[in-house]
Amino acid sequence: MSRRSDEYQAGVPQKSYDLLFEGFIVLGVVLAIVVVLAAVVGSPDYPTVRATDVATLQPVAFDQTAATILSGQSSLQTYGPPYTNDNDNAQKILGISPATWAGVRIPIDAAKVLVLDPLAKLAQLSPQVATALDEYNTASSDQQDAWNTAYLKALDDATVSNGRVHVTNGDYGPVPTMVDGLRSLAAAGLLEGALQSDLRIPYSLDNTRALLFFEDDVDHNVAGSLDMLGSQWGIVHETGAYPGAWWLGPYALFYQIPPMNASPNGDLQVALIMLVIFLILMFLPVIPGLNLIPRGIHLYRLVWRDWYHRPDGSGGEAPTGTL
Amino acid sequence: MNLTAGAQRFVKRNLTLEDVLPTQMPVYVNSVWYLFGATALMGLVLIILTGLVMCFFGPTWYHFSPIGHYVNSMHFWSTQLFFVGLVLHLVVKFMMAAWRDHRWSTWVWGLLSLSAAIFAGLTGFLMQTSWDSQWIAVQAKDAMNAIGIGGFFNTLNTGQMLTVHVAVVPTVTLIFIGIHLLLVRRDSPVKPISPKPAKAGAPAAGEKVGPR
Repeated sequence: MSRRSDEYQAGVPQKSYDLLFEGFIVLGVVLAIVVVLAAVVGSPDYPTVRATDVATLQPVAFDQTAATILSGQSSLQTYGPPYTNDNDNAQKILGISPATWAGVRIPIDAAKVLVLDPLAKLAQLSPQVATALDEYNTASSDQQDAWNTAYLKALDDATVSNGRVHVTNGDYGPVPTMVDGLRSLAAAGLLEGALQSDLRIPYSLDNTRALLFFEDDVDHNVAGSLDMLGSQWGIVHETGAYPGAWWLGPYALFYQIPPMNASPNGDLQVALIMLVIFLILMFLPVIPGLNLIPRGIHLYRLVWRDWYHRPDGSGGEAPTGTL
Repeated sequence: MNLTAGAQRFVKRNLTLEDVLPTQMPVYVNSVWYLFGATALMGLVLIILTGLVMCFFGPTWYHFSPIGHYVNSMHFWSTQLFFVGLVLHLVVKFMMAAWRDHRWSTWVWGLLSLSAAIFAGLTGFLMQTSWDSQWIAVQAKDAMNAIGIGGFFNTLNTGQMLTVHVAVVPTVTLIFIGIHLLLVRRDSPVKPISPKPAKAGAPAAGEKVGPR
């Protein structure tokens, strides 16, 4: 043994041991459990939420999403760093906001990037959309706001027939044509591609825009129906009865209790709490009181039960460690 | 200064062949409570093996292939057992106050290994390319953005998460676990807690935890 071990183990009785044999036994047991669970239980594989599905199955929800993003009322529009420079909206504690330190690293103007840019591509194929887009882009921002607000309100009472979304008559300008066009693009399965296609085509490994498109109401509604919201301890389980990251249970716990469960700064608050817990764990060996907990709860007696009951009565005497 | 000679001296001083491949163990190491660390290690072995298979076929393979789904399921359950072993190992080592007798650094590297493993798990969930990944990606991005690393660690960037999952995080995790194991074997198993509280004049609680 190393000199350090030799000194430490001086006087301690030793027994024969086979590390590799023990390792193979444990590997065999773990492998057997994994083989059986993989065969019998499998693993989760719930389908993704695709734009084509939302456009065809929930056309009103799609239109509301698109119209909300176009109007600038999506959460993404004024998110703050790393997407926009709205630093006031970044999470903070006592005025300290780590989110702002690196600035806008992934600039995203939601209305432009998620709606107007894909429509500009579609305009190459559709004269109707081209005309509507031109009318929208040349209108004043007040006029755009008026159209968007009126159309968003009208969508609250929208009906669907033959796959088309109908709203009451009103002054919506070119917005319905634009939203219809975007929904057609999505229904054809081309929206995700249009969102990513001005990046490094034909290579697209970054799905940031496509994943952000439905992140508000649509994703939350799906997650809610599958018990996966943060308030439902979503992180500790996956779809169905499969376990998720259950080891993050303590992390998820803090999202359930005030003030974190209702705070706009909840993520930062929970992260700070977890950092404190981690530091306590790290320094626990030298924190008076806490480092004596093991002696208090006596569970160590289970681990060393044989040692404490040695026939020669040596257990717990000279060779034992200090606490 | 001869770096190689220095490395030789370090190995001779800290890690003999008997430490790496022990054939003897103190008699107090005699219960199943000692096996959770090994359980985690063997879970990690299976994670790496099944992960290597999936590297050849890509993260979406398992959606279309029954064999792919089975390998993915093995990867999934290996991960679950890895964390079962890891968490129980942490709990048992806490019960044993295993940081005693100058083993604080072993405790710290174990915690760092757990932290790295948690990031490995997160990026793994993002690689399922399923609804679960989709939802976790948009949720986790808020936490990453809040602590200021979202611009560099973008959970919505599948390419970045894939390379981080198969290269960066496993490397860091293996290095941390390697250091942890080196310290475990160098120092040998911590002695049992004395059933009698330390007497006056004896070392106080937590006194012998730091480096020599």
